[in-house]
Parts: sequence; structure tokens; C-alpha cells
Amino acid sequence: MSVLRAAFARLRGFLRPRQTDARLEEEIASHLEMLAAEFRARGMPPEEAIPAARRAFGGVAQVREEWRRRRGLPWVETLAQDTAYALRQLRQNFGFAAAAILTLALGIGANTAIYQVLYAVAVRPLPVPQPQQLVELQIVQSGKPQHFSYPLFREMAARQNALEGMFAVSEFPLRDATLRGRGLPQSVHGALVTGDYFRVLGITARAGRVLTAEDDRQSAALAVISDRFWEAEFDRGAAALGQTLDINQVVVTIVGIAPPGFFGETLGQTPDVWMPMSLQPRLMPADYLNAPYFTWLAVIGRLRPDVPARQAQAALDALYRQNTSLTITTAGPPAHLELHPASRGIDELRQFADPLYVLMATVGLVLLIAACNLANLLLSRASARTHEIGVRLALGAGRGRLVRQLLTESCVLSAIGGALALLLARWGSRALIALAGQQISLPPAFAAVGFTAAAAIAVTCLFGIAPALAAVRVDVHTALQASRARFGGAPRRHVLGRALVVAQVSISLLLVSAAGLLVRTLWNLRFQDFGFEPDKILQVSLPLEIGRDTMRRWNALRDPLYQRLNALTGVRIAALSSCGPFSGLQHTSPFSAPGGPFQESDASRMVHVSPGYFQTMARIVTGRGITAEDRDGAPLVAVLSQTAARRLFGAQDPVGGFVSGSRTFDAAHQLLVVGVAHDVHFTPRDPYGFMVYVPLAQSQAPITDIELRATGDPARLAAAVRTTIQSLDPRLRIGEIRLLRDTIDAGLTQEKMMAWLSAAFGALALLLTFVGVYGVIGYTVARRTQEIGIRLALGARRGQITALVLKNVGLLLGVSLLVGGAASLAAGRALGNLVFGIGNPGGTLAVAALSIAAVAALAGWLPARRAARLNPLDSLREG
Amino acid sequence: MDNTNESRTEVPYGTLDLMVLKTLDTLGPLHGYGIARRIEQVSQGGLALNQGTIYPALLRLEQRGWIKSGWGTSENNRRARFYSISPAGRKQLAAEAENWSRTVAIVNRLLEGES
Repeated sequence: MSVLRAAFARLRGFLRPRQTDARLEEEIASHLEMLAAEFRARGMPPEEAIPAARRAFGGVAQVREEWRRRRGLPWVETLAQDTAYALRQLRQNFGFAAAAILTLALGIGANTAIYQVLYAVAVRPLPVPQPQQLVELQIVQSGKPQHFSYPLFREMAARQNALEGMFAVSEFPLRDATLRGRGLPQSVHGALVTGDYFRVLGITARAGRVLTAEDDRQSAALAVISDRFWEAEFDRGAAALGQTLDINQVVVTIVGIAPPGFFGETLGQTPDVWMPMSLQPRLMPADYLNAPYFTWLAVIGRLRPDVPARQAQAALDALYRQNTSLTITTAGPPAHLELHPASRGIDELRQFADPLYVLMATVGLVLLIAACNLANLLLSRASARTHEIGVRLALGAGRGRLVRQLLTESCVLSAIGGALALLLARWGSRALIALAGQQISLPPAFAAVGFTAAAAIAVTCLFGIAPALAAVRVDVHTALQASRARFGGAPRRHVLGRALVVAQVSISLLLVSAAGLLVRTLWNLRFQDFGFEPDKILQVSLPLEIGRDTMRRWNALRDPLYQRLNALTGVRIAALSSCGPFSGLQHTSPFSAPGGPFQESDASRMVHVSPGYFQTMARIVTGRGITAEDRDGAPLVAVLSQTAARRLFGAQDPVGGFVSGSRTFDAAHQLLVVGVAHDVHFTPRDPYGFMVYVPLAQSQAPITDIELRATGDPARLAAAVRTTIQSLDPRLRIGEIRLLRDTIDAGLTQEKMMAWLSAAFGALALLLTFVGVYGVIGYTVARRTQEIGIRLALGARRGQITALVLKNVGLLLGVSLLVGGAASLAAGRALGNLVFGIGNPGGTLAVAALSIAAVAALAGWLPARRAARLNPLDSLREG
Repeated sequence: MDNTNESRTEVPYGTLDLMVLKTLDTLGPLHGYGIARRIEQVSQGGLALNQGTIYPALLRLEQRGWIKSGWGTSENNRRARFYSISPAGRKQLAAEAENWSRTVAIVNRLLEGES
């Protein structure tokens, strides 16, 4: 009880400090008077009685301090006191405070921004109930996961009882479906899902209803739309329910709207429309539902609470082995079924996570540099306050108390910096996602508060503790003799300051050289020799729409389109192609020549081209290109890329030889090689590729791209080209019309993001290093003012003084470059395939080291010059 | 006051509370000065008491509810704060006093056994 009562009494004292303090003052006064009166009564002279009373009473200040500690809630009061004091200090040093807070806000904000995205990409579970129960079913063969065929899924779903339920979802085919009837034909992201999709995920509609197993059984033409699509297409109107959508020429009725934030089962994808799996044969040209050889489905299940994952896996694997005939695996070792945790869904952003980890490390290091800078600033300030701190210690302040107060100052800086950082981070995360061209929904803002606070606390510990400890580690006696500090001072503090500079210069070198590598990577990818002229070719992309009448329409369109485009004024040559370089699509096939080695399919591409293609893209090296004579019914011909020619025919001339699109040469389907074309890159990162060009007229492939060369500026042709295509087929969807250079750039968003951000952070590191070196050397010069004055007075030349100061800088720089250089080489290797086309990173490292050296030299030279210009008389007088 | 007396001991930790309570129990309401003087008198100069330290101790005891305080007038007509022991304080005093005697007895036995 008495403890509780004491707590209340303390609270009262805390709330009414003045009243209780006044009471103490009065009691002390009357005590002293009574004591003095007694001494006088004992015969002491009056002038001695009062000092004697004070001696007997003991230290009044200590009693007051002790009383205050008892009176209220001392730690709250100290904190408030320290905070108020810290704010006053910071207001007095406004420049320092602003610089520190800005540094912290930028440093912490960048960390929080990248953390938010990284969290969304690599940590956050799916927004569904009990996501940890979700597992992905994978058929694994030779360590590689394979997709499911629909017959296998159907059989397993019907017969399994190890899972609560399972569903299949189409991975690829409808991601770029065509929506008609709402303005111009446009792209819509569709997903086909089996009946239990929403039930297993545990998702209910925000309006209307979700799709059910019954819908799937009946092949009901129904759709659930995403919240985002609802907003974009229907402006969140209630009228959306019951409306119809024409998707790939199938009319579906909207029955429900998915809850906001639900993006399906695949991270990095945001479907607009979910439709029953059983609609597949109507939406796509071939029926996949009864075909074991189409493996195109991802399968997810929900574990039953009473069946452990291991047991479920064993049961499902056994079931799979009974039904292997229902799906096709490639020749090789037998496949088996595995369960993988899928609480985060199917992860298509793994490749995006790597660069994010690199960025996270980068901004972490930038924050570390910033912390070093702040620590150094605080150290210098602590030195400036040596005298003040000495006085305080002499007056009886506890060292612990002083440390606490100095730390409070750091905490106030961090708190303000952290609050600003939160604002910056929100904006930064959005910018980062936009820069990366990804579709990721961010976690709510409050989720970042914890991380920001943690970062702020960590950084405060980093930059605050050492200077605070160093500040109170003063010898009172020396501190009070201010002038002595100018010569000797605290050497340990100096060592700490230098160590901090070495750390930050090394880290800067690491960041700048990494930035150099990433910028060179972008440069290498963008300006490599592609084998064609990306700045002179206009590319029109025609999104692949596979419907039932697709081929018939393409066949009808091919010749008129070719003729009309080539007849346009301003067009030098126009060519049609399918699945060519930078089309975003590829058609792979194995190839073989009689008696020669065969080429595996995953590295060889088949490109379908019209006449004129070899005057726009890859030029013919020997033989001829594809001409108008290579039509349907004429002998089948092919043009090989140089790489393909070399692989299939070695040193022989391939023109006049035969190839076939199979592992062993098949004379029944042979193609006559009529020419060899110069090698081109298929994508920026691919090496010169194995390509076989065949006439579009003979292969009947859909047209996916048009390549044009202009007599003038190719970009000017865009409008005319669009009108021409639309006049031929108003129902055709036209994608991007742009220079191939722009297509290439659009494919390099991630590399661009890495290059720009790392360059920006590298520049920030350089700036911070400049400030850091300038601060430390400037401080050294200030401390040695008197010494330099004496040297000058004794006849030292100014050049010698500059050299003296710069020698300091040189030493620090030398150590830093050694440490940082080693770290940079290691980091360069760690970047792995984020860098491209850089054989020897030595050059980049040398340039980075030179720029750091230049920055550090400038930062050191400014104080050095100041030192050399000192007037000896003034500097001696100052001491 | 004689500051040169070598045989003076520091106030043992925790015993000041006990001495204050006993003083108030014996003498009735008293101001801080009176309490300090009384402790010094009883110790016959054997205790190095900084009189000021009595005030934080009084505050502590009051916060626990063992003593009460109020303004009054001292013998030489000064406004002074008078402290008196509360019933809870008496109980505490009894407990503490017994505790103290027991501790002293144990230490004494130990010391006698040693020598």
C-alpha cells in the first residue's frame, strides 16, 4: 500500500513542483535561523554564527537535488529538462541542427522507402486469412519446377483429401487479353481460375459475389473484377454489377467486385478480371482442358489443420505418381510432387528483390556515412564545449547525468529527422515503384513507423554515444585551463575522429565504385552493338490476340498491310514480323542440319518475317533475304543468323543446304537455306543469338511487330501508320509505336533504376565525405592555430604549412583507399549478374578512387589554405 | 560543532528513517530542526549528520504515509513545519525497531564468536 501511496504523492509533487519546492525553501531558511540563533546563544559571535549554521546543515544544493529526486517523477523531469535544454542548444546552433536533421531525414527516409518496397516484395504475406496454410504444389523434375496440365489438376483435385482444397490458375495466356466495346480495343489482364479459387483463398466479394465451383462446372460466362479495374473502368459505380465485358470476343457478365488490396495469388501481378477456368476453350484458340501436353497451370492448396504438411505432401505425391500420364514431362529422370510454402503467393518478383537488397545495403551504408559525419560534428562540438563541461563537472554534475543530457540532444535530432523521414519515405517508395515499372501495393504508412523508429534509434546509438562518452572523459583540471587544450587536448578523441573519417571515406569509395559499375552496366546494355540501328527503326507492336478467327484475319491482313505501309509517303521500307528481337515474344524450336549437331530449343529462336525485313533489321551477309516469291506453296526457305550458320554448318557455306525444326534432321519438313544474316541481339542481355528466319507467308504466324525505316524522321510516321492500320482493320489493337531505341530502354527500367539511384547515393556519399573531411581537417587546423602561428613566426613558409595540413589528409586518404578498395572489389563480385559486360572492374575502381581523392583533397585544401593565410600575430594572441 | 572528532560514524543506511520515527514517537510533533538536534543530542556527537539530509528523509516518510506534516509556530515564534507520526508510522516503527534489534543481535553474536 505504502508504495502505491508514495507513487501518488510523487505524482502530486510532479504536477505541483513549485508548491513543494517553496515549502522546502522555507523549511531550510527557518532551520538555518534556528541553528544560528542557538550558536549565538552559546556565545558565538553573530558574524560567525550564520556560516557555522550553514556548515552544520551541509550542502544546501545537494539537499535540494535530493529533495527534487524524491519529490516527483525525476526521470520525466530530467527528460523534459534535457529536451528543453537540447532544443535550446540546437536553436542556438541552427546551422548545425538543420544540417544534421536534413542528413538524418534523407538517410533514414531512403532506408524506410526501400524497406517498405522490400517488405512488400520479399516479406509480406498475401492479404488473405491464414496465409501460412497456403502451399504451392509443384511437379519437380531434375530440380526444375513444371506447371500442371488441366487433366492432372482435375483428377488430383477430385481425388485428394489431404488438403482443405486446391485450385489452379492460368499463369500466362490471358495476361494481355483484349477488351472491346469500351472505346478503342484495349489490353485487359485476365486470369482463369478453377471453381475453388476464392473459397480456398478465403476471399469474399466487396460487392456482388465471387465465382464458385458451380459456375466453373456450368461454364458460366461470369467475371469478378478487381477493385482497381472497378475504379478505372466504372468509377466505382454500383452499376458495374450485371454489366458485360467483351474479352477476346467472349462476353462475360460481372457478378462481383474483389475486395480492395486483393491482387490475386501472384506477387507482382494485378489481374483486372477473374473468369471460370471452364471458359478457356472459348477464350483461346485451342482447348487446353483435355490436353495433357499443355502444362500451363499454377496450383495452390490450403493445408488442413489436422494434416501436417509432410503428410499432405506424401499423400499428394503418391496421387501424382498414379496419374503421371495426365501431364507431360520432358524426357529424363522421373518427376515428383513437392509442397512449397505459399503464404506470400506465387512469387514473380524474386528477380526484383535482388536489386532491392542491393539498394537496401546502399542506403544503409549512406546512413552509416551520415552517422559518421554526425558523430564527427558532435565530437568537434564536444571539444568546443570542453571548458563548459569541465566547469559543470567541477560544480558537481555527475558524468552519467552529462552523458544523458548529451544523448538527449542526439535523440532530439533523430526524432525530428525520423519524423521528416516518414514523410519522405512514403513519397520515395511510390517513386521507387514507378521507377521500377512494377505493380506493387504498398503496406499502410503506419507499418513503416516501427522500422523508422528502429533506424532512428540505431543511428542515434551510432553517432551519439561515442561523442557523448568522449565529451565527459575530460580531466577537469586541464579543461579549466582552456589554453592548454589547444596544444594537447584529448588525443583519444582525435583518434576517434580520424577513424570515423577513414570509415566514411572507405564506404564512399565502395558506394561510388558500385555506382560506377551499375552505370557502366546500363551504358553497356544500352549502347552495345545490337546488330541493327535502334535509332533509325520505328517499331509498331501488335499485341498478340489469340482468338478463334485470329489466323484467318492475319492471313487476310498480311499482304494489304505490307503494300499499304510501303506505299505511305515517308516510308523507305516497312517489314512485318512475328516473334522477332525486342518483340517481347519468342518462338523457340530445336534445329538440325543433315549430319550436323542439333541445337536445343531453349536457345534458338524462329523469327517469321516478310520481305524487306533484312533492309530494316539484320542485314544479309551472304545469299539473299526473304522475298515476295517465298509465298505459301513455294519451296520452304530459311535465312540463318551467323551464329546459327556456324553452329549447324561449321566452316561450310550453309547457302544451298537444308535445315529442319527438329532434333534430328527431318527431310519431310526441310527448309532450304537461302542466305545468312548478320547476328543481332534478341534482348539486351542475350549474346548474339541463334536465329532462323522463315517467311511469314509460309509459316502462318500472327504478325506481332512492324519495323519501318523512314526517308526522314521515323517518329513522324507514327500517326500515319496508325491510321493506315486502323483503316484496314478497325478491330485490331495497336500497341506501342516507337523507336526501337525506346523499346530497348523500356526493357531496361530496372537497370536504369539501379544506375540512377546508385549514382545519386554515390553523389550523396561524396557530398557527405566532403563535409566530413572538411570538418575534421578544419577542426585540426583550428586546434593548431597557435602552433601554426609559432611556426609562421619562426619563419615557416606558407607552402610548408599547407603541406603540413595536407599530409594529414593524405594519410587518412591512403588508409581509406586501401580499405575501401578491397571492399569495393568484394562488392563488385557480390553484385553478380546485376552488372553486365564488365570484364575488369579495375578501371571503374580507379576512377572512383580518383574522384574520392579529388573530393577529399579539396575538402582538406580549403582549411589548409586558411591555415597558411593565418596572421601569426593574431593566432598567437588568440591563445 | 566539532568537526575534528575522529570517532564520529556515518549514518548507517536506512537507519535515519528509524531514528526520525522514534524521535517523533517519543517527543510528539516536532520541526526538522528539532528532530536533527534531538538525534545529535542522543548520539552525543557520535554521528556525522548533515542536518540538511533530514528533509529528503522526511519527505520520503511522508510520501509513504508514516508521518504527517503541517505548518505551526516554533518556540521562538517562527513559522515552521511540524511533523508528527501517524498510526501507520507507529506500526512501521515497531516492525523496524524489532528488525533492527534482531540484526544488531546477530551481528553482535557473530563478532563475539569471531574474537
